[in-house]
Amino acid sequence: MMHEFSELVIGSVFVAPFVGYAVMALAIVLAIRPILHLCRFGQLFSHPAVAELSLYVTILGLLTVAF
Amino acid sequence: MSTATITPPLTFAGAPASAWAFGIRIWIAVVVALAASFWLELEAPSSSAVTVAILAAPTRGAALEKAYYRLIATFIGVTAAIAITGLFSQARDLLLVAFAAWIGLCVYAAGLMHGNRAYAAVLSGYTVALVAIQQIDTPEHTFETGVARGAAIAVGIAAIALVNDLLAAPDSFPQLVSKLAALQRRVRDYAKSGRRDEATDTATAVGLLRDVAALHPEMASLGSESASGSMRSAAARSTAVALVAEVYAARALKAVDATTRPVVPLSDWASREFQRRDAEVRQGLSALHAGTRPPQAWRTPLYRSHPIAAAAGIRAAAWLALPAAFFVLAGWPAAAVSLSLVVIVIGLGAATPDPKGFAVMALIAAPIASALAGTLEFLVLDGANEFALLALALAPFVIGATVLTTLPNRLLSALGRLNLIFVLVIFGPSNPPSYNPQTFLFTSLFLCIGVALLLFAQLLIPTLSAPHRQRRIMASTQRDFEHPLFHHNWRLAPEEAMFRDATRIAQIPTGGTSPQDSAALAEALSYFDRAAASRICRVSLARLAGTKLSHYEAEAETALAAQDTQRLCDVASNLRHAARAEHDLAEQISSDLVVAAAVIDAAEHPAAPPKESVS
Repeated sequence: MMHEFSELVIGSVFVAPFVGYAVMALAIVLAIRPILHLCRFGQLFSHPAVAELSLYVTILGLLTVAF
Repeated sequence: MSTATITPPLTFAGAPASAWAFGIRIWIAVVVALAASFWLELEAPSSSAVTVAILAAPTRGAALEKAYYRLIATFIGVTAAIAITGLFSQARDLLLVAFAAWIGLCVYAAGLMHGNRAYAAVLSGYTVALVAIQQIDTPEHTFETGVARGAAIAVGIAAIALVNDLLAAPDSFPQLVSKLAALQRRVRDYAKSGRRDEATDTATAVGLLRDVAALHPEMASLGSESASGSMRSAAARSTAVALVAEVYAARALKAVDATTRPVVPLSDWASREFQRRDAEVRQGLSALHAGTRPPQAWRTPLYRSHPIAAAAGIRAAAWLALPAAFFVLAGWPAAAVSLSLVVIVIGLGAATPDPKGFAVMALIAAPIASALAGTLEFLVLDGANEFALLALALAPFVIGATVLTTLPNRLLSALGRLNLIFVLVIFGPSNPPSYNPQTFLFTSLFLCIGVALLLFAQLLIPTLSAPHRQRRIMASTQRDFEHPLFHHNWRLAPEEAMFRDATRIAQIPTGGTSPQDSAALAEALSYFDRAAASRICRVSLARLAGTKLSHYEAEAETALAAQDTQRLCDVASNLRHAARAEHDLAEQISSDLVVAAAVIDAAEHPAAPPKESVS
């Protein structure tokens, strides 16, 4: 079954749905940053930056699949 | 006896391996940005490559913070461009006047900010140049150009963030920790050095305060680096504030050692205060290292002079008006591109301490960049259509310029930074590539003419002179000292106010040779000492409120306002004798008062007139 994407329309300008997902994923990652700090997320990995990037990609993927 | 072997850092062709890694990262980011822009068929693919060049910073946090401000500034700039075009689309001359006024406003705002925020203010200005001025003859395309530019910038930011994350670009905080720790060692040495001649003492203290204040942009960039970034940023700010307070404690210690007043032994008290400040710095450093919340969360307020910023803004608008008028009257093709490059030079120059020096550097860099871009386009690529060839051809130009930016030589470093941007702007990679010699010649020629005109405008309308700026800053120092509850001072903790004073001292322009410069710095430092001593006493005295000793508060306040040190010592002595129940409190406050008296004495009557220069 094909997943249908709804167009994002801002002031009658069409924006690709991916842009909306990317921005939403960024907002979610920024919002959960304090929780990540409390969980000592950075200390679990040798390269926390790559781990955070992977988290972002995971959330982006989940958003794309779910909505 | 054991000897430690220190491995020298790996170097290649005179630059450390880290600089080459940085260069390769930027090259990969440029290639990724171009590939993504070509694939997405963006209208302005070269903007994404230029974005990467502008955001080129050796650490991840600095690049991310700049990227954040670049995005916000682009949004503001595009909105302003649409508004200005909408208002003056039928009158080209009025549009240029409105644009010059907008640039002036942005430069004024940049003068009130620091680091990347100043850059964002400037960028909001020149985005209008890139969006509205380039479309001056076709105002109906302004919106589309704005969207195209926004998309290209977003792609550039995504490319550099991705490459920095995946290729493990170094974090900023380890460097900041070592810089702060080195400053702490210098403050300790300063405290141990005893009271030497006044000029050396002043030079050392001013040097320390300037170096701490100079770390402000780096502290701000920690926030975006990782999940613990905001904690680290808070810890770095607190450490810097504690360092300034430690410098003051060291000066108080020296003043107490030199005092001739027959007072209770105060050296112990002053040295305990110094140790307390030192411990605060240590705690801040360990919080910064561990990424935890610092014990004290101090803010780092900055001193900004509105008159100086306004003067810079008016000048920037005038500098822009001259080349703009020239290009409009000449009516040449491709003038818009060179005008927008002139605006970039004005804007980036405004964020440096010496805008004219930056314009001179741009004048040197412009022909070099033109020659390099020509070599890249017509000798190296020469009609090639494959993306892989473009990527390979870009490598030496991008990596070479990026490595140059890391060199300690300021001339080479500035040339590297300007060339990295200019080469990509002049070359303007596009899909399909145009290889149009006429466009290249016009862009290069007008870039050189534009920068020369800008320099001419700066010679006609010179920047605010150093003595003038010095006088303005000194006047504001005096005003703040005479009205301690004036403006924003009343909300700041004494330590935070000390940091603000340190950033003001850091902005006093000095050539480093004249006796006037040394005298101005000595005077500023004297105000710094007296203001800090008064603020600490006021906070201590506030603790007397509600006790039986509260009437001493008003008495001490009057003595502080009059800077009457004898009366301060008398109040301290009376307070010590009168205290029964609150003995410890009275002891602490009277010690603070006597230390303040010693500091004020030392600040008002320096040991010897300043003789040496300050570098």
